[in-house]
Amino acid sequence: MVSLNEIITSVMNFIMLNLKFFIQVLIIPGLLFILLFVTFAVWFERKYLARAMLRIGPLYAGRISGFLQPIADFLKIFTKEIIVPSDADRRLFYLAPMLLPVIQALTIILIPFAPDWVVFRGSGFSLILFFAISGLAPLFPLIAGWASNNKYTIISSLRTAYLCIAAEIPLLLSAVGVVILTGSFDLIEIVEAQSKMWFIIPGFLGAIVFFIGILAESERVPFDIPVAEQEIVFGWRTEYSGILFMLTMMAEYIGLLSWSLLFITLYLGGYQGPILFGMPLVSHMFWVLVKLAVLTAIIILFRTVFPRFRIDQAIKIGWKYLIPIAIVNIFIAIIVKTFFPSII
Amino acid sequence: MSEKSSKQVMRISWGPQHPMSGQVRILIDTDGERVLNIIPDIGFTHRGIEKILENRNIVQGVVPIERMVMVDTANIALSYVRAAEEILGIEPPKRAQYIRVIICEVCRILSHLYGFGLAAEACGGYPAVFLWSTADREPFLDLMERITGTRWSYSFFVPGGVYADFPDKIKEKFLATLEYFEERLEAYRRAWFENKIFESRAKDVGILKPEDAIRLGAAGPNLRGSGVALDVRKDEPYEVYDEIDFRVITQPEGDSYARLMVRYLEMVESVKIIRQAIENMPSGPYRKFVSPLKRLPKGEAYSRVETARGELGVHMISDGGTKPYRIKITSPTLRNLYVVSQMPKITEVLLADVPVILYSFDPWYLDADR
Repeated sequence: MVSLNEIITSVMNFIMLNLKFFIQVLIIPGLLFILLFVTFAVWFERKYLARAMLRIGPLYAGRISGFLQPIADFLKIFTKEIIVPSDADRRLFYLAPMLLPVIQALTIILIPFAPDWVVFRGSGFSLILFFAISGLAPLFPLIAGWASNNKYTIISSLRTAYLCIAAEIPLLLSAVGVVILTGSFDLIEIVEAQSKMWFIIPGFLGAIVFFIGILAESERVPFDIPVAEQEIVFGWRTEYSGILFMLTMMAEYIGLLSWSLLFITLYLGGYQGPILFGMPLVSHMFWVLVKLAVLTAIIILFRTVFPRFRIDQAIKIGWKYLIPIAIVNIFIAIIVKTFFPSII
Repeated sequence: MSEKSSKQVMRISWGPQHPMSGQVRILIDTDGERVLNIIPDIGFTHRGIEKILENRNIVQGVVPIERMVMVDTANIALSYVRAAEEILGIEPPKRAQYIRVIICEVCRILSHLYGFGLAAEACGGYPAVFLWSTADREPFLDLMERITGTRWSYSFFVPGGVYADFPDKIKEKFLATLEYFEERLEAYRRAWFENKIFESRAKDVGILKPEDAIRLGAAGPNLRGSGVALDVRKDEPYEVYDEIDFRVITQPEGDSYARLMVRYLEMVESVKIIRQAIENMPSGPYRKFVSPLKRLPKGEAYSRVETARGELGVHMISDGGTKPYRIKITSPTLRNLYVVSQMPKITEVLLADVPVILYSFDPWYLDADR
């Protein structure tokens, strides 16, 4: 018989041996960080949008400007009944919103927050792995829209499919420019190669394409076509209620987080930045978070100033403008790499 | 039908329970994203206003008829009051006519601001403009409160004049508000009409050619947005519009952008009209008293008024009682909704264009239902 004491000791030993891994998974860049980001991003979006609309926004929950409002909303939605339409495919209806945030969050394990602070290095192919995992994400809106068996959701899920194909190819092509500049698929090596100059300068066109691709991929304004409230109620999320709806909303922000982190890694020098107070690990993480805050604030700011594109316009932007620009960017990267290798 | 049955038609119900629809159901037949048919299904807010008006005398009747369009109450009430005055054969004093014109034009601005905000909302993801335009209605609502006693739904017009005199001490404040509003209009132009995404959403969408607009019977700013200069204020001037210098706004393009631009430029014109009316307002009495218990002479009258949404007609028949025998109202939204229903046959419409086109016509469904 193994005593309880021995079990606890062995578990503690296991945790202590893999302490770094547990901190990474549970705190940063893992669970706690993702949940905090989602909470803060929702609060910031609501508050900023309210100011732009001459309203006050969340005010009461959590004394300072209602910053606990997203948590209060979460608790409220958590207690709501989950209503499943009678014609829905029950299993898929439940499965899609559960798996979507997991897939979105899975990509974050590949992002380096410091030279030795990455959950999974992917044996030197982490960029390819990132695209492979995130390529699964658009499947779930498609499944959810189909399983809901509703006209609005089906239109929306097809729009998601069109939009993702139009956005993902330019995203990949602009990432190729970075790979050419670095000569590696490893995200840590890509960040290390930016110690002299961020890739946003030689790969400016690629950065623009990537930024617009992020907006389309994470369904942000002006590319929030799959959830166009004015036409198709709430897109593929129309039939969801309670905690399942909460999960779909979380997935949107987790997608925004993972794509923003990749943009920072590829173009904004990742964790690069001056070392503060002689603490390299903390200052590396600090710079990632600062860049993340600025980038997501810009993306959220777009919501106040832009109407929405039509689906045909969005597809036209993807195929007609973004792909040629991304290809031009690849040629620029080749020229820089061949003739001016010293500047990078 | 044989042509249609080869396509796969999906009928989408847009409203009455929908984030953007309002009190109407619009059935949209689509083939994928392409719209084949738009079928407006009105009647969700029918209140029988015409019947109610048969049981009210001409002074009481102003109150229910204003409920047709709550953002544009003065123009609606004016058409009723003018019909009653024609039957009674009285002419209100000059000062009352000027006060009426001021309030009507303020109502036009209020209504256009509201419709303009909704059109911004319809293009998606741009709710800020709606809230800005709502906020810019506030100074006008405050002024109206000083003049009429309420912020909206004034019930201020009465056969024979208006209920109260225009307080001359608020003239300065009125003119200052107009100046502020002109600055705001400039801000809207920069933030909204010069927004490239909005241009791409509204330009060349829902084109209504002048001949189609006349054939289908579009009304008001929507007709003028197709380049047809038809405005009751100019063609058949009522009150003191013939003493005021203003021009009829037209835009030749006939698309959604042009219709919204007509509304925008009409707000600029309304500011000019109000300014002239305030400056030229004569002194004198503001009301000829007509007893609500007075028996109306036998006869009938038809009055046309250019409301914010287009021409509104009130046909009043009197059989010699204190109350009108029958009242029939022709409303602009009903005509405009018919034009919307013909849109897929005139131009190519995608599903995302439906709200943009619909709100570029500035519908007010209570007006269509009555």
